[in-house]
Amino acid sequence: STEDSNPAATPLPCVDTQGDGRWMSLHNHFVSNSKDKEPDVLFVGDSLVQLLHQFEVWRELFSPLHALNFGVGGDATQHVLWRLSNGELAHISPKVVVLWVGTNNHGHTPEQISSGIMAIVELINNKLPNAHTLVLGLLPRGKMPNPLRERNAQVNKLVQEAVSPHPHASFLNVDPGFVHSDGSISPQDLFDYLHLTPHGYQAVCQKLHTHLKDLLDKMV
Amino acid sequence: MSGDEMNPAAVAQDVVDVQGDDRWMSQHTRFVQECKDAEPEVLFIGDSMVQLMQQYEIWRELFSPLHALNFGIGGDTTCNVLWRLQNGELDNIQPKVAVVWVGTNNYDHSAEQVAGGILAIAELLTSRLSKTKVVVLGLLARGERPNPLREKNTAVNGFLRSWLPRLGQAQFLDVGKGFVHSDGTISTRDMFDFLHLTAAGYRAIAKPLSDLLLQILDETPEERRASLV
Ligand SMILES: [Ca+2]
Repeated sequence: STEDSNPAATPLPCVDTQGDGRWMSLHNHFVSNSKDKEPDVLFVGDSLVQLLHQFEVWRELFSPLHALNFGVGGDATQHVLWRLSNGELAHISPKVVVLWVGTNNHGHTPEQISSGIMAIVELINNKLPNAHTLVLGLLPRGKMPNPLRERNAQVNKLVQEAVSPHPHASFLNVDPGFVHSDGSISPQDLFDYLHLTPHGYQAVCQKLHTHLKDLLDKMV
Repeated sequence: MSGDEMNPAAVAQDVVDVQGDDRWMSQHTRFVQECKDAEPEVLFIGDSMVQLMQQYEIWRELFSPLHALNFGIGGDTTCNVLWRLQNGELDNIQPKVAVVWVGTNNYDHSAEQVAGGILAIAELLTSRLSKTKVVVLGLLARGERPNPLREKNTAVNGFLRSWLPRLGQAQFLDVGKGFVHSDGTISTRDMFDFLHLTAAGYRAIAKPLSDLLLQILDETPEERRASLV
């Protein structure tokens, strides 16, 4: 199948090129920390998930929903696939999994990234058949228009199509309109034109929180 | 160190836009523009440790009131900071203090080379800004458990502690005490990914730094203060 030759859909642990073992430490930390938790919501993904945990908006909107955060900076779809295949879902049964990953899949095509995201959706569905996966759209990036913005937009289109017929998954575009009319993105929203400021998170999270509450209410 | 030209960590180098969205240069260009519009008393320059600080409440609480600019870029090495400082980020500004925090991303360089790169940054600052005091922050421990990068960062700090006083205007500040527990571990409560600081982690390092900055700003000669009015 095409999945076999798709690096974005093939589970891969992050190689510790730096030499301090931080990626594996975080993974082990998530696995062991989840043993005594009963989260209703699980956030999984890259630095956009990870940094969310550091700001007040997490405690304000998501801690009250009993949410766990398994974000690792720099992760691409293949890394999240590996983490979820290797223990991060073993001890928990969240009602909703929020998945936000793909912007770090450098060198992969939109089709590959979209398939990588769908492979994660399928994995979650296999491990947690009663859970709903909410896939968040990739945000635009870079100060001015550039190929990665087009790539991310294309990924969103493909994922939205692929997720639509899926009974246990849905897609949510959380971009409140970060691209201004002149094509620029403001550092007030994305401080390095990729990662969100607390202000940027506020806009994203209001929309996400409302959607999550609706989902959880429907699932009772 | 003899002959900085032999030290790869002391060679100015811009970041190649391998990802394809030109974010590094966009940030540098923004900082150069900020130099034209602002009159900072304090300049922070460095990597993500500097950059992320601005995203937390502690920045608005302790550093914004000092009229501080933040020129931090995630992933930067000493080479990248040198390049930025040589290419416009010091134009049009005369801060009283420059805070330098970089070096933990210099993966290809030895501890002595990294310290030499940081020294080169301090020398560049003191030669370009003759009245500016330079505060170099020590590299923090990293990784959940003891590992070679912790030892390297400790060695970098050792070199800096002995070399920096020779520059006169420069001083070393170790803000890393207390992050490594007695069992050798670092907690995600302080460093959420065993490298980057949480809000609580920043709170711990910000107090001694803020105290030193206030002390330096207080010592700024009266006539220079008058000339700034
Ligand atoms: Ca669906």
